[in-house]
Amino acid sequence: MTSFIDYVLGGFGSGMIIALMALALVLTWRATRVVNFAQVGQAMFTTFIALSLQTLTGSWVIALVGAMVAGALLGVIVQYLVLRPVKRADTSGAIIATFGVLIALQAAAGMIWGGDSRAYPQPFGNTAITLFGREWPVSAYDLVVVGFAVILVVGLTLLFTRTNLGLAMRATAFNPEVARLSGIRVGRTLTIGWALAGIVGAVAGVLVAPTSAISPNSFDILLVFAFTAAVIGGLDSLIGAVALGIGTGLILSVVSGYSDSSNAPVVALVLLAVNLVLKPEGVFGHHKARSV
Amino acid sequence: MGYYAPFPHPAVALEDVSVRLGGLQILDSVSIAAPRGAVTGLIGPNGAGKTTVFNVMSGFVPADSGSVVLNGQHVHHVRPQQLTRRGVARTLQGVGLFPSLTVLDNVMMGAPTRFGVIADALAMPWVDRERRQMEERAREALVSLGIEGESSRLPSELPYPVQKRVALARALVSDPSVLLLDEPAGGIGEADMQDLERLIRSSVPDRTVVLVEHHMELVMAVCDFIWVLDAGQVIASGTPDQIRSDPAVLAAYLGEEGAA
Repeated sequence: MTSFIDYVLGGFGSGMIIALMALALVLTWRATRVVNFAQVGQAMFTTFIALSLQTLTGSWVIALVGAMVAGALLGVIVQYLVLRPVKRADTSGAIIATFGVLIALQAAAGMIWGGDSRAYPQPFGNTAITLFGREWPVSAYDLVVVGFAVILVVGLTLLFTRTNLGLAMRATAFNPEVARLSGIRVGRTLTIGWALAGIVGAVAGVLVAPTSAISPNSFDILLVFAFTAAVIGGLDSLIGAVALGIGTGLILSVVSGYSDSSNAPVVALVLLAVNLVLKPEGVFGHHKARSV
Repeated sequence: MGYYAPFPHPAVALEDVSVRLGGLQILDSVSIAAPRGAVTGLIGPNGAGKTTVFNVMSGFVPADSGSVVLNGQHVHHVRPQQLTRRGVARTLQGVGLFPSLTVLDNVMMGAPTRFGVIADALAMPWVDRERRQMEERAREALVSLGIEGESSRLPSELPYPVQKRVALARALVSDPSVLLLDEPAGGIGEADMQDLERLIRSSVPDRTVVLVEHHMELVMAVCDFIWVLDAGQVIASGTPDQIRSDPAVLAAYLGEEGAA
């Protein structure tokens, strides 16, 4: 019989994917104070690009790098062409605009690659690892996913804490006016934030694709989970996004194990609702939430 | 334009600048100038347009007409992010610190960087070296303001007057030749006021200081020259003694204090 520990371990890989997508949402939020609902659409689009590259070259690495480059470009394009002009007028309008971008990307992907689900090739072993005489619900591929997530999180943390660019990004997020006075090119810094988010989202997309499948709408549910993790994590906190992303993955795995996987989104929304009532600023959030 | 005449080669100036915002004439053909190596005050009642003058000088508000001189050069399109490179630093009303950055990081933000994004992201050795130099300069600025012990604290953990000192340290860390101070005396006590007075006077003649301030004692004590704005127009200019006895100023602004 599968034990509780197996369910928890089984959620680690998907938790990392949720963590990466939550990280992407937090990066755009930190840069521009906009929740980018198009993030999963961008990830879906770049994963289709990766699939095309993989089919063309047969190389998983080339496909991943291609997706990351495309992710950065797409982030820059969306920020530059949609967000900048809309946000100048109104922030809530900008959030709605990201929904528009999501729908546009899904429609475009449907036109280019078709609406059917496609399998994404598995680059590494997907069989359970056997250790200490028993089989664990963790595959070599799960470990690769965890490795990528750790590298990205450590890299981003170093970028934010040890470099001038990171300092500029943190400063811009809190006070663009003073940041400008400090010599920071605020517009460019915001664009870099969106490009970084695009890269992280693209990696999440390519990593999750082999475990599910890829279609224009296949990442929609990932948005629900990642949004939940990002908001409960405090929306401003990289560590919060990662911790809550993994936590959400584990909880959903347990819920799916003991009941049915279709209950997972409901549980995520319940968690979100409970958090918004009890601790609206998020577990790792610094700012007092606005009460109305 | 008559008020502009005293300084033919100013370090900072607005020449015939007008600004209209939201249907209101905020500045109306304002010409003011700050001579190099002196402390120039800019005073006037609330809503006179003093901060807008600073905002035009620092590029936050574009002038509808007229031109700007920064550090002795005519600048057609002022961009805030280029100020430090032009040798100009500005403080904001209040403190304008970054809440999630330590005092040291806040001050380091005031030092301009030379290297691009890619070298920075790759942590190239020369970027590292520059960052260490920035940190050293930031620490020196903190020492000069007597707050070196607070370098690892967050702004929210510090009393307001100390936060004001951090904001000053951030402006000074780039070693600017022009310092624009927007109400530096707001919310600080007598002892801090005396330190501020000493700091401003010791900045000249190496730097040019332009001071927007409501605290008249400070303005009269530190300024070499004063411009008076009212309702978006220059109504007087002169030395502190001349301003004290200018009937237009007494009527428009110093009326109550002058009578007291």
